Amino acid sequence: MRTIYIIVVLLGVASILVDHLSSPSSGRALSPEDFAGACAPCGAPCPSTQKK
Amino acid sequence: MSTASLAASNQDAAVRMDRLFLGLALGSTAILIALVLLDHQPLSAMLILGGFGLGIAFLKAEFSYTASWRRFLTRGEAGGLLGGLIVIAICALAVVPVAALMPKFGGAIAPIGPSLVVGAFVFGIGMQLANGCGSGTLYTVGGGSGRMLITLLFFVIGSVFGSLLLPALLSLGGADPVLASDYLGPWGGLAATLVSIAMAAALIIAVARSRDANFVPSRNYMIGGVIIGLLCVVVFAAGGHPWSVTFGYTVWGAKAATALGFDLSHSAFWQWPGPKRALVESVLSDTSSLTDFGMLFGAMAAAAASKPFAMAAWPPAKSLLAAGIGGLLMGCGARLGFGCNIGAFVGGVASGSLHGWIWFLAALPGCLIGIRLRPLFGLSRE
Repeated sequence: MRTIYIIVVLLGVASILVDHLSSPSSGRALSPEDFAGACAPCGAPCPSTQKK
Repeated sequence: MSTASLAASNQDAAVRMDRLFLGLALGSTAILIALVLLDHQPLSAMLILGGFGLGIAFLKAEFSYTASWRRFLTRGEAGGLLGGLIVIAICALAVVPVAALMPKFGGAIAPIGPSLVVGAFVFGIGMQLANGCGSGTLYTVGGGSGRMLITLLFFVIGSVFGSLLLPALLSLGGADPVLASDYLGPWGGLAATLVSIAMAAALIIAVARSRDANFVPSRNYMIGGVIIGLLCVVVFAAGGHPWSVTFGYTVWGAKAATALGFDLSHSAFWQWPGPKRALVESVLSDTSSLTDFGMLFGAMAAAAASKPFAMAAWPPAKSLLAAGIGGLLMGCGARLGFGCNIGAFVGGVASGSLHGWIWFLAALPGCLIGIRLRPLFGLSRE
């Protein structure tokens, strides 16, 4: 189990590094609900907005 | 204590410490913090550190929502549930007024409808099969449980499926979020939120008393609840919204699926502005991923500092199957229910949002079913 853990941690950190270095990054970490119109932490629109 | 016995005790602690995994945990955390600081994002570093603290606190207090809820449903014991309410009450003291008064802060809100109820119910089944919830999965994986590694993997897969299903369930209808501070103002909303928590506590104690069960939280749950509540406030201050766990899993899964050649960009969920941005941008731009990473490595550091890490044997295949099914259900349920026991229940109630309580009431019957299913996988109902 220890070997699997070592592999998972190293692969995980490497993936984060690759993703971070190859993706754009805005000035501040945001949650999807920061966006106007979002009605939930995942960014879902409000039912009242959907009806329009 | 004599010098000789002190030296022996220090030597004993050094022997128990797992330097390899302690180094991996601390090194990985340092790398992540360096990356966000290089991007001039000190608040992101604070989120990682907040998560790191949460990982240590959960592991050391053995703070388990899943076991607490199971003990309440099977034996009427309410100490763990009340410990969870301590976390929410402390968090609410900051979240309700600040979210209402300060423009850059917001509470955890969600529409009320079939998606919320179905998602929470499915999550409840999954958390009992997996034997861990949103936060529980993170700190037990960090703590060295191979079984929960399987849960995390399927949690991530399930949450991607959930993201594809959510727009269809939302189209069934529902009501806009109901936030106490919208009706009563920041301080009235806070008072209403605290009263709702007190009423829930009174009801839970009444149930425990009627079953002659203990309702006093253990010392671990009292101290752990206070520390976790304070760390929730730290995460809220750094992230601008209450602590959430599972959106990060969805982003990890979607990024992995994209890397494997699946095109998610056409699905409705991934066209909403927030998820669309999260899929394109660095994973370190997502608040929930930052605290998730911190929590994993915090728990790993705490576990490795006190004993050899991940030395347990793999559990039986049936238990691993339950871990996988539970993870899948939790992932899907979390997306449909707008979060897990942290993002939807703790964050929702602490924000004064009605959906938090509805999530809790829908998750409990799901837990009951999950508890009944546990023996099929060789797991105890207790």
